[in-house]
Amino acid sequence: MTGLRSSRSILTILLLAAFGWSLTSVDWREGVLNVQGTPALLEFLAAAVRPVLTPAFLGRAVAALWQTVAYAVAGMTVALLIGAVLGTLASGALAHRRVARFGEVVGARATLGLLRAIHELVWAWLFIAALGLSPITGVLALGVAYGGILGLIFAQHLADAPTAPLRALQAAGARPWQAFLYGRLPLVLPDLVSYALYRFECALRAAAVFSFVGLGGLGAELQLSLRELNYGEVWTLLFLLIALIVAVDWWSGEVRRRMTT
Amino acid sequence: MSLAAAVILVVLSWLWVIGEDRARGVVLISAQSAEHVGQFIEDLLGIGSPSPPAYLRPDRWAAMAGLAAETLGMSVLAAGLAGAGALALGVFAARTVAFGPLRPSRSPLWPMAFFVTRGAFIVSRALPELLWALLLLFLFTPGTLPGALALGLHNLGVVGKLGAEVVEDLNLRPIQALQRSGARPGQLLAYGIVPSMLPQLLTYLLYRWEVIIRSTIVVGFVGAGGLGQEFRLRMSFFHYTDVTLILLVYLLLVFGVDLVSAGLRRLAR
Repeated sequence: MTGLRSSRSILTILLLAAFGWSLTSVDWREGVLNVQGTPALLEFLAAAVRPVLTPAFLGRAVAALWQTVAYAVAGMTVALLIGAVLGTLASGALAHRRVARFGEVVGARATLGLLRAIHELVWAWLFIAALGLSPITGVLALGVAYGGILGLIFAQHLADAPTAPLRALQAAGARPWQAFLYGRLPLVLPDLVSYALYRFECALRAAAVFSFVGLGGLGAELQLSLRELNYGEVWTLLFLLIALIVAVDWWSGEVRRRMTT
Repeated sequence: MSLAAAVILVVLSWLWVIGEDRARGVVLISAQSAEHVGQFIEDLLGIGSPSPPAYLRPDRWAAMAGLAAETLGMSVLAAGLAGAGALALGVFAARTVAFGPLRPSRSPLWPMAFFVTRGAFIVSRALPELLWALLLLFLFTPGTLPGALALGLHNLGVVGKLGAEVVEDLNLRPIQALQRSGARPGQLLAYGIVPSMLPQLLTYLLYRWEVIIRSTIVVGFVGAGGLGQEFRLRMSFFHYTDVTLILLVYLLLVFGVDLVSAGLRRLAR
């Protein structure tokens, strides 16, 4: 108990010290408040109660929202593909010879770690520089970054799956891929689907800001409205995004509930 | 039903993506795009350029140290702000406090606080860091602070919701014992609830820190400083070997934070 308590107090001190240090990374001398922005801020906040709901703008907003959804959905399909293939390899569930397994696991894990380490918008920018401005670059960026995360999570779940049913299958003469398909996968599938749905929600948020690297979608409309100082339009777009995220959150909750009961 | 909807969404999305790609004439898989990618990789490595690439020059590496420290500071500040906010507000967002056995009094303020904090968490979570950064620039001059606040606000919703769930799952016995011995709401909070939620909240916050450090480079795109701003600058000047250097520093930072966070999480347990 005393050991536990002392390690916690060490942690508390470390974290408080880190936070204190982080305050020094802000340049306080130059003044952090943007005084000229205050009237604009008040105007912006006042516009919250009167979002622009004209048919013309709503049409534009919904089209932008659809683009964002399309990016996220297409990106998630790429991510699931990468995650499933590399995740399976990284779990070491398929290889039967020890040397082959070691190579597979280390190689797949390193690849996944690298894919995941770089943020999707950084990937997007790199892809755009290499390939040009097209939705496909955004889709690839999402697919690569999220494929890395999904793959690592998939591998972890597959490796942690209970082994008793597996051994039964193997004893009955199942090949590794059969044992994988009928023994391991069904056990972890609900968790994997649930995590993928959570990631889809994140993908929507990520796709909403693809405009910062020059791609279209909700963020592009939002930046345009902000530049034209049309705050009512900004609020319409913000409300739409929040509604979308809440709807997807609700949907994934429903799916999760139906899978576990 | 859900599966059918998902399949339809996938088909429609890909039709749109491919159609748009055709319209722009990029066409992903072609000999030409393979050549572009090859060229880009050569640019990143600095092949065919007369001067030595930036990622091999010690002076450039030294110049990155300050930017890396700034980025790290921004991520720690963001995580700290999110954690402090979640600790302060998470209690009010717990059902057990608003409606259940932990409700301190009959006052209707408790359910009201529940709906307000839950709503705030939903909104703060729904908006990505970059949109928060954009909105915060109304109030702040561009720099580390609005960047950290934007990261902190998005993560406040994520961590806060978890904080509320931790309170809802708390073992009620010790807290009710405090209650019965006449502790006031403030004392209940300080001695009963906060200490029991702290370890889990800290563990989760350390996990989030790993996510935050990855996004910190991105808020730099809108002028929040650090590696992200430098990345944007070098990309727009086509200084690609500097881009490689920044990516290497970024990767070191990300993997370093992963290691430190794993070590600290062991202390929290």
